[in-house]
Amino acid sequence: MSTVTLSVHVSDIERLFREHNRALIAFLQCRLNSLSDAQEVAQEAYLRMLTMDNREEVDSLRGYLFKIAGNLAIDRLRKRKVRSDFAIVQSQDEPMDEQSPDHHAMAVEQVAGLRHALRELPAKASQAFVMHVIEGRDFGSVAQTMKLSERMVRYHVAHALAHCRARVDEKEVP
Amino acid sequence: MANQQQEEIVQTAADWWVRLREPNADGDTVEQWLAWTAEDERHLEAFERMNAFAERLGHLDRVSRQALINAFARPVPPRRHWLPLAAAASIAVVVLSGAVYYGWAHFASGDTTQTYQSAVAQNRSFSLPDGTKVALGAASTLTVHYGRDRRSVELRGGEAFFDVVHDNSRPFVVTAGDVSVHDIGTAFDVRRTGERVMVAVTQGRVEIADLRTGASQRNTLEATAGQRVSFDPNASGMAVDTMATEQVTAWRNDRLEFIDEPLGVVIANLNRYTSKPVHIVDADLNKLTYTGTVRTDAIDSWVGALPEVFPLRVSKETDQIMLSDARHAEQH
Repeated sequence: MSTVTLSVHVSDIERLFREHNRALIAFLQCRLNSLSDAQEVAQEAYLRMLTMDNREEVDSLRGYLFKIAGNLAIDRLRKRKVRSDFAIVQSQDEPMDEQSPDHHAMAVEQVAGLRHALRELPAKASQAFVMHVIEGRDFGSVAQTMKLSERMVRYHVAHALAHCRARVDEKEVP
Repeated sequence: MANQQQEEIVQTAADWWVRLREPNADGDTVEQWLAWTAEDERHLEAFERMNAFAERLGHLDRVSRQALINAFARPVPPRRHWLPLAAAASIAVVVLSGAVYYGWAHFASGDTTQTYQSAVAQNRSFSLPDGTKVALGAASTLTVHYGRDRRSVELRGGEAFFDVVHDNSRPFVVTAGDVSVHDIGTAFDVRRTGERVMVAVTQGRVEIADLRTGASQRNTLEATAGQRVSFDPNASGMAVDTMATEQVTAWRNDRLEFIDEPLGVVIANLNRYTSKPVHIVDADLNKLTYTGTVRTDAIDSWVGALPEVFPLRVSKETDQIMLSDARHAEQH
């Protein structure tokens, strides 16, 4: 009996993977701001699904998969923070530049294009965008600094993101 | 037409990107997002491009990153025109009497913490056991802890000037709120106004760190003689400009020098030198920018002359002075 349950289970997971893997990776990349981390966490989420033992209590496997993945992403962000705090303790006397391998040098003209696009926006939109997307501060901290509600910060960031994305697109696509 | 449709998709993808980033986004949000991605294959594609774009921007090289932060993420207070205040030039004598402070008992023998506190309108000078000279401004509090391998000083409020005897084996570190100043053979001034901190170096070099940010984003910079570093908790970085030694240490000769500082900061520092505190009633006045000199013995007349240069009204009461926005007053 347990064998039957397991085989059904595995095929369910395979189907989930086929149908939703791309969306899952996109969801995780959004959370983690890193495609490679997203791929790792997605794999871990499928493993969790395969080894779960309370399948009957779950109404939607897909919902459950995204929930597990979301929680794993939160763990991953927490670990990242601990790691980087530790790195500071370790390298207090070292200059703090390019210590992480995943720095992308942006072409000068692309940075110039971005600056240009940001200048076209209301000051609050570009400020919220730079603090969140470039500087990596969370919405709560940006809201506090700008003395705005988090909802307004999200509104500004979304507006600026769409604007900059569209502007950079114009340049990239001939 | 197709272009407009594409723009809408990009905007919607950006909205979703922001909503999904919230770690507390609930299951319903995710379900709605999945439904949106299933509507049209261009939707998920646009979302993926948004992810790639944001990832790239989140991992910029340090120089581009800092340049963008400096250009956009640092609020600039509106500049107002100002004139030198002739009224502040009158001269009187302030008599300095002994400030309140707690002595050095048992200090040199071990890990002891000493607190120094000066009274309103009273500067104080003293030496620490290693020969480091400290000049403490009025209404300022300093806690000194000399451990075996570190000399730690905390400026809880006010201003202090340090002439440090350098010792490689025992660094001298001053913290003021979220800022730490690490001596590299030096004389420097630290002023703390609430959470705002200003460090001005008159000799040698110091390393200044912003203690707020953890992680790789830690903001550290080196300042040399003649440089002034300003930390504003509302700005994302520290600002560097220049300030001459005479200006930095003017307060020791009963003159407070300000260069492009918010009126709120100027008033808070003047209040350390007057028994009749000045209060700003309308918060928007805090943002006015002031450059100039104020004699600590002529604060009253300086305040009296303020309406000549700023749109504000001065109301003198028996034990305090109120500053209100002149434009508000007209409306009443």
